Amino acid sequence: MIESTVKYTPFFLLGCVLLVSLVVGLLTRRHDKGGYGLQVHSIGHAKIGAAIASNWMSAASFLGIAGVFFLNGYFAFAYILGWTGGYVLLLVLMGSQIRRFGKYTAPDFVAARYDSPVARVFSAVIAVIISLIYCVAQYKGLGLVFAWMFGIEYTQALVFGVLVTFVFLMVAGAIKASRNPQMHYLLLILFFIIPLMMIAKKLGYNWLVPQFSYGSALRDLPEQLSTAYLFPWTFGTPYEWIALCFTLMVGTAGLPHVLSRFYTVPNNRDARWGVVWGLFFIGLLYWSAPAFGAFAHSWLTTSGTVLDPAEAQALADIIVIKTAEWVGLNEILVSALAIGGILAAISTITGLLVTAAGTVSYDIYYRLINPNANEKHLLIVAKGATLVLALLVLVVAVNPPGLIAQITAVAFALAGNTLFPVFLLGIWWDRSNKYGAIAGMTVGTMITFAPILFGHLSPTLLAVLPPTSSALIGAPVVILTMIIVSRLTPPPSEELRRFLVEKVHSP
Amino acid sequence: MSQTNEQNSPSREDLRVNFFRPRPGFMRKEVTIIWITLAAWAIATFGMPIHLAIIHSDPASTLAEVPYIFGVPAYFWFSGQFLILWFIFLCFCFNILIDWLSSSYRRRR
Repeated sequence: MIESTVKYTPFFLLGCVLLVSLVVGLLTRRHDKGGYGLQVHSIGHAKIGAAIASNWMSAASFLGIAGVFFLNGYFAFAYILGWTGGYVLLLVLMGSQIRRFGKYTAPDFVAARYDSPVARVFSAVIAVIISLIYCVAQYKGLGLVFAWMFGIEYTQALVFGVLVTFVFLMVAGAIKASRNPQMHYLLLILFFIIPLMMIAKKLGYNWLVPQFSYGSALRDLPEQLSTAYLFPWTFGTPYEWIALCFTLMVGTAGLPHVLSRFYTVPNNRDARWGVVWGLFFIGLLYWSAPAFGAFAHSWLTTSGTVLDPAEAQALADIIVIKTAEWVGLNEILVSALAIGGILAAISTITGLLVTAAGTVSYDIYYRLINPNANEKHLLIVAKGATLVLALLVLVVAVNPPGLIAQITAVAFALAGNTLFPVFLLGIWWDRSNKYGAIAGMTVGTMITFAPILFGHLSPTLLAVLPPTSSALIGAPVVILTMIIVSRLTPPPSEELRRFLVEKVHSP
Repeated sequence: MSQTNEQNSPSREDLRVNFFRPRPGFMRKEVTIIWITLAAWAIATFGMPIHLAIIHSDPASTLAEVPYIFGVPAYFWFSGQFLILWFIFLCFCFNILIDWLSSSYRRRR
């Protein structure tokens, strides 16, 4: 179903949007310099929330969720709830405490809390792998949308998309444009919801709140189809649903780039209230996303189009754009969806790659390989690492192993199986020590990758530990491992435990 | 004997941090709030699918029997829309309680 026509409108508009975001970035940078001290106090909680949401929204949210709903109906709610409920866990269990601890990255926290260079490097490697897996999913989104835009093959489009990302990254770096998260969020949500409203209108459903009217669209489908999508267990067992939802929740709470949002805000209280707004802003997207999947089926039914499973699978990750195209939406609105997907992917990729490269140069190269390196040297290593990591992701993304949302979920499983327990016990149990942390991270990594590497050998393993959902069993096992190993080895220093009591757990 | 005790006392100082046995005072109250929020989070998120799994296994009879809300089965609306609101509400309440707790302890200090 790949048409071979080049679509100029979305490409032209994409250029405009990227240019505008650079210019705005440039202007906000100048503005910031003026009154940094003053501005900090006047930042509203909603503004912080928008920054949290824009940091969060990746191709998995923008393109992936609708695709999963299109294929699996109710099962997609496991993704939606996992990716929102995780913020409750993060806020309630760790947000304030990690902030009071005062370490800004996952490896820094692990190094300080567990007082071990080995644990630091281990957690750094894990953080980099999480970013890489996350990026593979973003690359897939980028490749698919560009392939749609130019009517070219996926691999070519992927390479083109990565080039666009890099040019954007370099230009933004060269002119030192800062990213304006509030504008980014506003663009994404408008580019998502306005086309959705118009799709609902075209299909004759209530267009003011498509978030509600997609229910009627589902019920209007032929009975068999309607039942399949409304019944919870058509596309997955209760165990699969719960395991996936739990995995995404603990993964969210353990994801390094989500956690770091707690520090970019002046004080603890503002950070906490920012989460409430952030969750609302993320909710706006997640309330709407399933509607695309439902309206897609609605159009397929009325137009009498039948997709075979392979076609449906191939289209799922761009179903957002396809639905708009199918119902005959204005070209500009269809472009808006494509641009939104690309923006979400590009911003996530650049954010993650730059952070991962920083981790490679500072936590791995400087700490492990060359402790005498100076700032300049480290910067060169970081730039080189960005390139190497980007190419590494490209190699994997040429043959994406699953849907965008599924690939992303694996990154969450790794975070939930390793960093989450290490953070959780690091904060809530003074007795946990470096041996426990290292053993825990080892077990967690093994649990995450066992079903991916050996799943084809044993269907039982795959059923018990699905690659996307391994943390329901993994996280408790890792926590138990950490407790047992920590109990058998000497406790951490008194100084550290005093710090936990007096600093981390005091108002 | 009493001298040894005095010498030991600084190192015997209570530096315990344990989620299941929180220190009296601020931490105990904080942990209580956390437990309440976590319970409300877990029951709503996982209670519904567990309930559905136990009660309903047949698609046709399920959709005929369950109550409907906004044109979809109630559980569908609950998972797809209500729970996100519920999470926002939980975070809101948690923040109110923690704000109250930390301001009362700061005043005391």
